[in-house]
Amino acid sequence: MGSISDTLWDVVICGTGLQQSLLALSLSRSGKNILHIDPNDYYGGAEAAFSLQEAESWVDRLATEDKGLFRSASITKPDVAGLSFPRAYSLALAPQLIHARSELLSQLVSSRAYRQVEFLAVGSFYIFKAPLDPAQQPSLVRIPSTREDVFSTTAISAKAKRGLMKFLKFVLDYDSPEQRDAWKPFVDKPLVDFLQEHFKMDAELKAYIIALTLSLDGRISTEDGLSIIYRHLTSMGHFGPGFAALYPKWGGISEIAQVACRAGAVGGAVYMLGAGIKSMATATDEVELELTSGDKVKTKLLVRGDGSVGDEPSISRLVAVVGSPLKSLFESTIEGAPTPCVAVVVLPAGSLTISGVANTFPVYVFAHSSGTGECPNGQSVLYLSTMATSNSKEVLSRALESFFSAVDHDQVPQCLYQLYYEQAAGVKQSRLDQLTLDLPGPSLSLSMDDTLLKHVREAWKKVVGDTVDDAEYMVFTDREPVDDDDFE
Amino acid sequence: MADQGGSNHGIARTSRTRTEEQRQKDLERIKDYRGLEDQVRHHAAKNDYSPDVFALTSKLLRLNPEYYTVWNVRRRCIISGLLSKPSPGSSPSKASPTSSPTATTTTSSADFSSSLSTETLPAPESRTTGKSGTTVEAEEEDEEQKQQTRQQHQQNDQQILQKELHFTIPLLLESPKCYWIWSYRLWILKQVIERLSVPVARMIWEEELGLTSKMLLRDQRNFHAWGYRRHVVDQLESPELEGKSLVESEFEFTTKKIEQNLSNFSAWHSRSKLIPRLLDERNADDEARKAFFEEELGKIGEAINVGPDDQSLWYYHQFLMLNLVHFVGHPTITPAFTQEERVTYLRREIEGIQELLEDYDDAKLIYEALFDYTLYLCQLQERKPNEQEEEDLRGWLGSLKKLDPMRSGRWADLERDLGLRVTREV
Repeated sequence: MGSISDTLWDVVICGTGLQQSLLALSLSRSGKNILHIDPNDYYGGAEAAFSLQEAESWVDRLATEDKGLFRSASITKPDVAGLSFPRAYSLALAPQLIHARSELLSQLVSSRAYRQVEFLAVGSFYIFKAPLDPAQQPSLVRIPSTREDVFSTTAISAKAKRGLMKFLKFVLDYDSPEQRDAWKPFVDKPLVDFLQEHFKMDAELKAYIIALTLSLDGRISTEDGLSIIYRHLTSMGHFGPGFAALYPKWGGISEIAQVACRAGAVGGAVYMLGAGIKSMATATDEVELELTSGDKVKTKLLVRGDGSVGDEPSISRLVAVVGSPLKSLFESTIEGAPTPCVAVVVLPAGSLTISGVANTFPVYVFAHSSGTGECPNGQSVLYLSTMATSNSKEVLSRALESFFSAVDHDQVPQCLYQLYYEQAAGVKQSRLDQLTLDLPGPSLSLSMDDTLLKHVREAWKKVVGDTVDDAEYMVFTDREPVDDDDFE
Repeated sequence: MADQGGSNHGIARTSRTRTEEQRQKDLERIKDYRGLEDQVRHHAAKNDYSPDVFALTSKLLRLNPEYYTVWNVRRRCIISGLLSKPSPGSSPSKASPTSSPTATTTTSSADFSSSLSTETLPAPESRTTGKSGTTVEAEEEDEEQKQQTRQQHQQNDQQILQKELHFTIPLLLESPKCYWIWSYRLWILKQVIERLSVPVARMIWEEELGLTSKMLLRDQRNFHAWGYRRHVVDQLESPELEGKSLVESEFEFTTKKIEQNLSNFSAWHSRSKLIPRLLDERNADDEARKAFFEEELGKIGEAINVGPDDQSLWYYHQFLMLNLVHFVGHPTITPAFTQEERVTYLRREIEGIQELLEDYDDAKLIYEALFDYTLYLCQLQERKPNEQEEEDLRGWLGSLKKLDPMRSGRWADLERDLGLRVTREV
């Protein structure tokens, strides 16, 4: 077996973030010579999941770099007991939900990689309601998204329920010619405006709808908003009753990246962690790379993740470990439905006051039970996200407090650990520069954004060329016969 | 073999296109199947219902649960071999041996029956004299032995019967609407009542109730499961199983099903059937009945509010309205309502439904309901529609004609019957 310098690689992939890993998966049966490297000593890149130890190293490293996508990271450990040992935690940098109808899932199924991932159900979406009387405690109201939900909820008037039903019916048909006529004038305008003009929706219903879109600035366009709600509604019940989205156990998207890399390795790709690109030179039809490990390699194509900062706004994130199982959030509402391990709580714009000023942007709290494998039993992990602003760190702090008082009226849950950071948006387009392909930066979307999949597909095409039929993309058969026959 | 005709309520059934390889495989499978079938028929023709044949029926039924003749062969195997014979002179047997068609046939080499004493011990001769003390003791001993035998029989039978129930489960999961499997289960369950002690029989029937709940969870609109459930409930309530009324829990069950899926026609229907007995058992007085009626109106109102296009909801609503209107000679929720109260409730419903039109102006079932209920009101007050009502009826018919042009004949008939013919274009 020769050294890696002897081979003229068909492709060197740098970085094991989601997109690069999916590329490795897509090429895992191609027979191509693939060298897959990552300068970090862990898989997942910007979508990695960290033990407490790894989180600390990461924060220390960021303190010395400031050009990357992540910045302003810090860790706070309150002086309370209860925090378990570092490896008991797996804090996800990308805690995105994956809707049941998402293209990613179809690809994971057709490529058979889904078998390696344990998917958990994302349960209820809640909206945070500030109390009418400031002396009272705030509450969480479940957002209805099915007809039966709307029937059962006591939080909305009969007339408002009719309005909501009409909207849900509209969305399920939103792509038809008649409905298109209704929303075409609002295509790029905010969805809230369309809801106001066309449906005369009151503030409360508008808040419910926007919450379902997971829009970080609350101003998602009509077209994008309708599309994401459509996806939510059609995903509901798709893989089983009572849930519309999934979440991979053991760290979310990082688990998908790892499984994809594993598939790549089984397919013959060579993996090297702790190796990045020190320098590169392009010849006529090959790229020469000197790796940080000292190795020199040659490849026909280099694929990297573009780590540069893009134009769109950054987000602020607070990851909080909580010393309570927050059971009320993870109750299954329907008989026969799996117990959810993720719950979504939305604090709309204007629902919080920080130094006398209301929050401009919504705050999204993704609550994870220990069922996600991200923390020990009896604890939970909260991922709070909001648009990055001059005071977004305080906004998240206040949101955490308010969330605590809303979720448990008897006993305020205790925070055992906090990780704060800001993440900039990456570039949105791929870039092909002679023999180097830079995939777009990681998405800041809180739900899996299928548009990034097309870049992976384009990269795949670049590697396999025209000899392979497009229909074969991510379509594999099981390597060993597997018995799929189960009754439930 | 699992594919059957009939609606599967949107649950996908697999269909396959075959390669030559698969065709060969299928030919093999057909050959095996025919072989099995021949064997079973051969043995049955000879009245051979031995354990071997029993095993053959297991194989064959797994491949084709619809083969009802083979289920009958299995029944015969069970009765003639595996289950205990009722012993003469034992306590009043709940089993009527004549119910099994094979009572007259005897098996040959049934290992099971030969290992068990299926005959009673011969009655002690001294029984007939009945005077001395020894006779009483002998009688007591006799009774004890009969008890033991009975217990042994019951234990054996319980095992056999439960195994049979277990055997049908995977078949049911694959073919949830196969009549023959349900029928076999029922037959086994009947044997349970006849042969086992009441506590054991009850326990098994309660498990059966749990099974119907599971089946209804998998497919809420499986009407086999609903009908079957009613039968199971009837048995559990019967004196044979020392039963008490299950009407409250069954009512609660329909509530749960409705909350899971409003369009569950069977659940609403079941609910309506349970109400008369429910109220009777609660000894509901007029106040309680009124409260109950209002609660049901509220519930169906909420449902129609979010599902105005759902026929099953309107059927239930009509059931409640008929409670107001057709109360002579019919079991009714609120027999004590005065004429005034009936009119008030009907009017209130009509108004409430009209409100729905604000948001659902194209739901034809709303117009139909308004039309029907206005006529109900007139019926109740024994009068013809007044001018305003005629205008409303005309208007609603007009909407119906637009929304449901396929039934234009029906709308025209209604128009004519009520003398509502429109003299100008609406």
